[in-house]
Amino acid sequence: MTDLTATLLAPPTRVEPSCWQAALDEARAALAGLAVRRPGTGPFRITEHEIRLALSPAGSPAGAGPGSEAAFAWSARTARRALGLAAIRLLLDGGARSPLEAVRARLQECERWVSEGSACASQLDRWIAGLSAAGRGAAAADAVTWTTRLWCALDWTAFDTAPVVGRDRWWDSPHSALLALRGRAEVRCPSGHLVVLQGPRRDSVRSELALVALVEALRSRSAAPPGRVVGWWPDSGHLVRLEPEPGVLRLATDAVSLVLAGGVIAPAVRAAA
Amino acid sequence: MVLVAPSPLVPDAATDDGTRSEVPGVPSGRDLLALLRGDHAARPSFDPGLAGGVRAWLEDAAFETASVRAERAGSLMLGARQILGTATTHDTTDVAPRLVDRLVHALFRQLVFGCRIEDPLGDGLDALRAAGDEETVRGVAALGGPARAALGTTLDRHIAHLSALVPRFAPGWMPRTDDYVAIPLAGGAVVLHGVFDLLVGIPQSGTASLCALGLSTGGPWPRERRTLHFLALLELLRTGTPPFRVALLESATGRYGVEDISEEHLRAMAAHVAGWLGRSDTCA
Repeated sequence: MTDLTATLLAPPTRVEPSCWQAALDEARAALAGLAVRRPGTGPFRITEHEIRLALSPAGSPAGAGPGSEAAFAWSARTARRALGLAAIRLLLDGGARSPLEAVRARLQECERWVSEGSACASQLDRWIAGLSAAGRGAAAADAVTWTTRLWCALDWTAFDTAPVVGRDRWWDSPHSALLALRGRAEVRCPSGHLVVLQGPRRDSVRSELALVALVEALRSRSAAPPGRVVGWWPDSGHLVRLEPEPGVLRLATDAVSLVLAGGVIAPAVRAAA
Repeated sequence: MVLVAPSPLVPDAATDDGTRSEVPGVPSGRDLLALLRGDHAARPSFDPGLAGGVRAWLEDAAFETASVRAERAGSLMLGARQILGTATTHDTTDVAPRLVDRLVHALFRQLVFGCRIEDPLGDGLDALRAAGDEETVRGVAALGGPARAALGTTLDRHIAHLSALVPRFAPGWMPRTDDYVAIPLAGGAVVLHGVFDLLVGIPQSGTASLCALGLSTGGPWPRERRTLHFLALLELLRTGTPPFRVALLESATGRYGVEDISEEHLRAMAAHVAGWLGRSDTCA
């Protein structure tokens, strides 16, 4: 079993239920206070990206502030995660035997959906279908690398139940339709959530991962804490492990407060994230 | 460079440094594939404690470097260009070497995945547009007619060599291109980084099971070879085991070489990096 798999599947750390419940109540109360309309602002959809921006030093690339980022455009780089996650799902379903086959199958699906006018066709599918053969080759190459790294990093046979691959989860505030939080994870199983990280190691990473735990806790119908959150940098092989302790909820709530207080996000841009 | 080859594949006319020059148009991807696979039983083994020892050595050197740098100076990003020197003799007959390099690398990725290249310049530009490399695309667009024609001719030569050299990898070999490695040291104050042009093989815990291919658009050969050793060191630090074998393809000439990675290569490269970090002008 790989180190990453062992970390993800390790037995949960015991948390005193009353402490957890108290922290969760505190987080709900704090978020209720944050879900108020601010003059001149639209809905706040907070992701790990906003937290990274809010917590990054002003001089760093990530902390350059609102309006400093280029507009989103599809490219091999921005498409690789979506293509890669679809490829991993295909591999797990037995529809392909290697990342290369799986990515090729997904690209063919893009073209088929677009040519048939399928309702399933997304912006990404249309972008892929509009590329030349060489352009599709470039997109495939990036996606194959992304897929192979994740596919080889986990021992998929070690999961008792099929893991959920690449489903982002949202929590919508019950107090206001203006506030929503997103938890992004590439692989989810009962014992943990794996988040594939990019870029340099940074001070904000624990807060970014804490957001995943907070969203899980807020969405859960059970009083039990969610699984741990494991951040993994494929570039370096480093792991960050965040156990679901009461302090994690506070860490995430503080980060959300900071984002909202700082006005760091540009709502119209982030809404599409 | 040591060629690792079953006897039928040992080249008839190896050069002094053990590399082989390809005759244009003669397919040899299968030869290269056989060299990469080699004899499974003869693959080198590595001390399982090597990665930890090398990391401790480099961490010490990096902390010394970090201690004399300004606290807010940011990470010191070090790639092969900085560590091994900047001298290159790219194929610079009459076109910008950076454009050739970017286009050849983009087309190399196409070849690895079995795509047909009918118009190297056009296909390369399409691939770079999809990759979001607008700077290179603009650089080509800014060329005048003769320079663009020269670029096309140069690309044709590179791609003819690569088409003959690049093997057809079975999907089960898990080929992946542009695999970026970044190893933070001293808490991220120093980052060693590089890109594998191509990795093949399935990672196995505790066993060196990967082959790495480097693509050079012009050399110089010894520096490009040492770049592969540097990348092997980074892979050792990333996963605990280095690639067991590396290959270098030179697209301008069709020359290639394959060699096993040894602990001596890794120790020598680690010593070089540690020495580089300890130099007084490193922090400038």
